[in-house]
Amino acid sequence: MKNGPLFLLGLFVALVLSWAGVVLGSHAQLGALTPYYDDTESGAFPSRSSGVATRGQLVYADLGCAACHTQQVRRADFGTDQERGWGTRQSVARDYIFQPKPQLGASRIGPDLANLAGRKPSAPDAEDLLKFLYLGSQNHPVYKFLFEDREIVGQRAATALKLTGSAAASAGHEIVPTERARSLVAYLLSLNNAYDYPEARPFAVAAAAGHGAAEKHDAKAAAPAAGHAEKKEGEKK
Amino acid sequence: MTNAPTTAEVTAIDTQSRCPLLFLIGSGIVWLVVSGILALITSLQLQAPHFLTDCPWLTPGRAQALRETAFVYGWAANAGLAVALWVLARLGGEALRARNWLFFGALFWNLGVTVGLIGIATGDMTSFALLQLPGYVQPVMLFAYGAMAVSGVLAWTGRSTERTFAAQWYAVAALFLFPWLFSAAQIVLIWAPVRGTLQAIAAGWYAQGMWTLWLAPLALSGAYYIVPKVSGRVLPSYEFSSLGFWTLIFVGAWTGGRHLIGGPVPAWIATLAIAACALLIGHYFIVFLNLRIARCGRGTAMAFILFGLLAYVLGGMLDALTSFRTVALKTQFTLVAVAQQELALYGAASMMFLGAIYFLVPRLTGFAWASGGLISAHRFLTRLGLFLLLGGLAIGGWVQAGDLLNAKIAFADIAGHLKPWLLAVAAGHAVLLLGNLLFLVNFCRSACVCSTTAPATTLFRQPSTLEATAS
Repeated sequence: MKNGPLFLLGLFVALVLSWAGVVLGSHAQLGALTPYYDDTESGAFPSRSSGVATRGQLVYADLGCAACHTQQVRRADFGTDQERGWGTRQSVARDYIFQPKPQLGASRIGPDLANLAGRKPSAPDAEDLLKFLYLGSQNHPVYKFLFEDREIVGQRAATALKLTGSAAASAGHEIVPTERARSLVAYLLSLNNAYDYPEARPFAVAAAAGHGAAEKHDAKAAAPAAGHAEKKEGEKK
Repeated sequence: MTNAPTTAEVTAIDTQSRCPLLFLIGSGIVWLVVSGILALITSLQLQAPHFLTDCPWLTPGRAQALRETAFVYGWAANAGLAVALWVLARLGGEALRARNWLFFGALFWNLGVTVGLIGIATGDMTSFALLQLPGYVQPVMLFAYGAMAVSGVLAWTGRSTERTFAAQWYAVAALFLFPWLFSAAQIVLIWAPVRGTLQAIAAGWYAQGMWTLWLAPLALSGAYYIVPKVSGRVLPSYEFSSLGFWTLIFVGAWTGGRHLIGGPVPAWIATLAIAACALLIGHYFIVFLNLRIARCGRGTAMAFILFGLLAYVLGGMLDALTSFRTVALKTQFTLVAVAQQELALYGAASMMFLGAIYFLVPRLTGFAWASGGLISAHRFLTRLGLFLLLGGLAIGGWVQAGDLLNAKIAFADIAGHLKPWLLAVAAGHAVLLLGNLLFLVNFCRSACVCSTTAPATTLFRQPSTLEATAS
């Protein structure tokens, strides 16, 4: 360690190697990922989200929703994400290519939201989500500052929340979502993993077929997956 | 009274470096208190979700980002730099040079943190863990850091002896690597963001790199200096220390994919991280081998450093264990991961910083700490607080992990099961905050004494054996 410049060079090389390996390596693999064109549906997936939903993602990011919510569904045999109804397939890198700020999150104090608008049987609608943001729940904070409590002038606003009981606005007043609340909800409603990419289908379909509950999904996906087997393998590595 | 300087030890090296280093330490402690208040708010919000949520600046997400930022860029950065620069000056045998650069760098760094916190509170945070600082303050902080590092570089290049010591390697590595790490992360995350989930990969690389290449080396530089100094013994198996050092530097940042197991990223990212975590065990083993004599030392500084070392080694083992896919399946996304982060940032790094501060402040001021009672109280409260905090998070996280893996348990019930443990976490944060307030009072009193009185050097002679070895 007596040789100063060599010591600093060693440090620098160590850092550059890890940067090249982790960041550039994954960029080389995924940086040019394109939407998947499906001949039978005559369309490419994922589709670009609307402008209002993109603005909503900024609201989601600046409020720090990712502190409690993830947006990544894991595969069926790895955790209970799919059993909990958060999605019917695992999230893949292609899901996020049009998102300027993907919100993968790292903590599940609250449920996963990757497929909020595609949940079956009952996905929430805009009115549900706005009310939830305004009223909160036992375990969810309220975001009243995203709403405006104002006097009704003339006709009631079309966007005003339809609240009843103790939550209702005082007489002559209405609760109107601000633009930020509406963008946030538009974003949440754009979270949908309905399209089943070839690389999202479970791996090792043939070997796993008929092996218990976790593989039920595999068997279902086996037929369409066969044609994309090679592509899938490339993506999963 | 412990850790008072001996006459032989109070030298021009320390007294001339006093002003900028005390400024760094003081601002670090203030940020520690600020982050403690924010941590208390965050833990109460987990307990009672409606607490303070009418205040847009303190939504749970923002409060957590504020807390992390104040802790890492406020407390750990300031305290760690003070320790590393002091070690470099001591082992270089010269007083710190470029002290004005250091002082103004520190000033702008702290201004950057302040503006960054205001930015986060008003909605400009990025969404990357441990890098939530708004994009516009990051270049300022990079330059401020560069200005502070000038002192360290000069202390390294202008050292009076050719031979170098492990404490210096760790200090120089941390000083030199952080700007590269920080700027590379800024480029791929803020200025020219990579696409989609690549952002999560790059953010993971930064977060792990910041821990393994910056905060851990800063903490270890203090420990490698102080442990032999106070225990009065030569470090055992010292010849392995360079292997331990280079293992950390070469392997550390590869652990970035630890939190992305099972996520929408290529599987090799996680596999590499698992292998890297296993390799790092070698580093933790060597650190333990070298610094195990910390248990022989007495005094406040050594008590904190010993705690930090044990937490550091334990944390490394737990990182390796929880990176295995079968374990990660349980612990991922739960409070166990938070517990590991607290164990590393608070239990390991901060405790070593605190120990080093207890050691170096009397040497900078020329006086013993103002109050021995406050030291004992701080030591007790910090241990108690960490015990409550880490215990609550770990047990709560384990309960949460079991519940999350059972799809029949509804989310509302999981929150219910967590409540008692989250109460322990909140209590832990409250105790830590109290302890840190006492520490701040003690520091202010000690620093004021030195500014009003001429240093007396006849105090508290320690046995001359304590002067042995190492430097």
